[in-house]
Amino acid sequence: MTKTRTDPEVCLDRSAGGIVRTELQSGLPVEVFYGPDDVAGLVYGRDLGDPGRFPYTRGIYPEMYRNRLWIKSFIVSYSSAEETNRAFRANIASGQNGLRLLADLPTQTGLDPDHPSSWNSMLCGGVSTYALNVYETMLEGLPLENIDYELAHSSISSALFFYCMFPALMERRGIDIAGLRGSNINDPFRAKLVYASPDFPNEVGRRVCLDLIEFGARHTPKWKAFAPNGVDPCQTGANAIQELAGCLGVAVTMYEELIEKRGLKLDDIGATVFSLDAESDFFETIAKFRAARRMWARIAKERLGATTPRAMSLRIGIRTSGLSLQTQKPLNNAARITLQVLSCVLGGVNSIDASSMDEAIGLPSTEARHFNLDAQHIITHEANVPLVADPLGGSYYLEALTDRIERGVNEYLAKIEKNGGMWACLESGWLRRQIEASRLKVQNEKSSGHRLIIGVNAYQGQEGPINRAIERTAYKVPSETARRRTVTAIRKLRKDRDPELFKTTIKELHRAAREGRNVVRPTIEAAKAYATIGEVVGAIRLAYGYPYDPLEDIETPAVVKEALRG
Amino acid sequence: MAEAEKKIRVVLAKVGCDIHERGALTLMHAFRDAGMEVIYTGRYATAEGVAKTAVQEGADLVALSDSTGSMRIIAADVLAALKKHGAVDVRVIAGGLIPKNDLPVLEKMGVTGNFGPGTPLDVIIDHVRRVIGT
Repeated sequence: MTKTRTDPEVCLDRSAGGIVRTELQSGLPVEVFYGPDDVAGLVYGRDLGDPGRFPYTRGIYPEMYRNRLWIKSFIVSYSSAEETNRAFRANIASGQNGLRLLADLPTQTGLDPDHPSSWNSMLCGGVSTYALNVYETMLEGLPLENIDYELAHSSISSALFFYCMFPALMERRGIDIAGLRGSNINDPFRAKLVYASPDFPNEVGRRVCLDLIEFGARHTPKWKAFAPNGVDPCQTGANAIQELAGCLGVAVTMYEELIEKRGLKLDDIGATVFSLDAESDFFETIAKFRAARRMWARIAKERLGATTPRAMSLRIGIRTSGLSLQTQKPLNNAARITLQVLSCVLGGVNSIDASSMDEAIGLPSTEARHFNLDAQHIITHEANVPLVADPLGGSYYLEALTDRIERGVNEYLAKIEKNGGMWACLESGWLRRQIEASRLKVQNEKSSGHRLIIGVNAYQGQEGPINRAIERTAYKVPSETARRRTVTAIRKLRKDRDPELFKTTIKELHRAAREGRNVVRPTIEAAKAYATIGEVVGAIRLAYGYPYDPLEDIETPAVVKEALRG
Repeated sequence: MAEAEKKIRVVLAKVGCDIHERGALTLMHAFRDAGMEVIYTGRYATAEGVAKTAVQEGADLVALSDSTGSMRIIAADVLAALKKHGAVDVRVIAGGLIPKNDLPVLEKMGVTGNFGPGTPLDVIIDHVRRVIGT
């Protein structure tokens, strides 16, 4: 009846027909082969350089993976702090060496678990880390220094609050906070563009973002308090060029403001971290990583005044594409993940958080996580891939593609400039429309059969017992009992904490925000007094003249009113 | 012929703090391309807000999208809110990440479709038309 209905016979024809498209995932067309003419303009010392040498196209360290492998990390955040702690311990025993933390969706939105809009998404995507007590349990017995923590939270308020958990815990344990290592995302553009985070309006998010970068650089120099994120824009539809241009645009915009207003230099920040996506398009992904390092080195040096090699180097943290994973025939996801991880290693990235084969069905199960670690061990110890730095460097195709991506990114950045810069493009919706256009293009290609997703719109086949087992073992949605327990726990916390300490610290946070002082230290003190994320967000919002509750469902709680009055 | 018919009015909703919007945006375009009127609530909507919008907009159908696995809770809240506002004739369909065990529960509540990711869009469109009876 309708021409888009899938006819099984058409799939059979396709399987005989071979390649259905000659464009890469981002839409870049590619030739049948590449030769010397395609790289005629390439100058080794200027455009590539040895690994560890400007412009770092081939990697940021001279010894690359021989000296230090990428960090093997992934988000571990289950529905209780105890369970998450146990999972961390099991994963560390299997070779995980970076701890990536997340929180459930309401917490990342800046809401407490007893907020009326929290219930249906509570404990989804992670632990409800509403206050320091949850962190105490979740990280119980785990080292706080000289281990890499990565905070992947969506909003600026959650970047602030969860960064502050660490100094709070460390000072409690009597550890110097300068030993804190790792990164958080703290990207005010991604917070709005991808998540429409209601926690802070732009003017507030922008300030708090700078507060965190500044405090991080001054007090926890091994912590990267800002890591522009391209992963999540890609998951909403951005292509590789839009992703990289976006990250560079965010970094330049925030650093220029930091340098101008906070008296810091890029040299004080050291290396920059981008959180990038590893998509299924193998060569495009590798070329993107190489182009990212080269472009950042040049921008850092020429535009932002970096003078040290470190300040010109870009560390790349990866989250492999969750979007590429399918619910149909989930076993196939193991192949997707393995190829994505391989592209990361060939592209010389610095940390990898691989999505799990059961992730399209539910939260990843422990076994699926361990498969990811094992795949990385196999790539290292059996396939010997990381022995040689940038092993594809010099490939006619890859070098031409790296150049092509750089050119595309520069063209896109020029359009952003023409439209008034990053903030103007965010606020006018221009960035969103660009991403939406890319998303629609992909959607149309999928429904017209010009982009094949195996097991979904091609080669559907039959699922057998292995696939069904993956479906059955995927981590289950948290129960309503667990949700009720969380609501009870936060109410108990508010009753049990020291009321005077809470009042003085939340008042000082409010005052610091109102007076335009850096809010990080006051947030650490409020965290130690067991202020909740909702209270911290509310106190900062009130200081700027906004209602306490980001969703405007609830009034300012009496205890906060009293604290601010007193 | 299509012009003569009343356009199907759909309130497309995301309730709670789920940030995964891609499915909803895909459907918004698909419904519009199929000649329907779509009112999208955006993210962070409440069940109460969805019911009010459905009444104000004279919607034929509410389409719920959620990727947290909590559709059972969301659908129950939205159905209760619709009932409270006397909008019992508004049909409710759902899609996203829905645990298999919840499928019969949702069907029993009267929530139909319950489509998983990757469902061909014309299957969803056909379902809407069938539910509305056009």
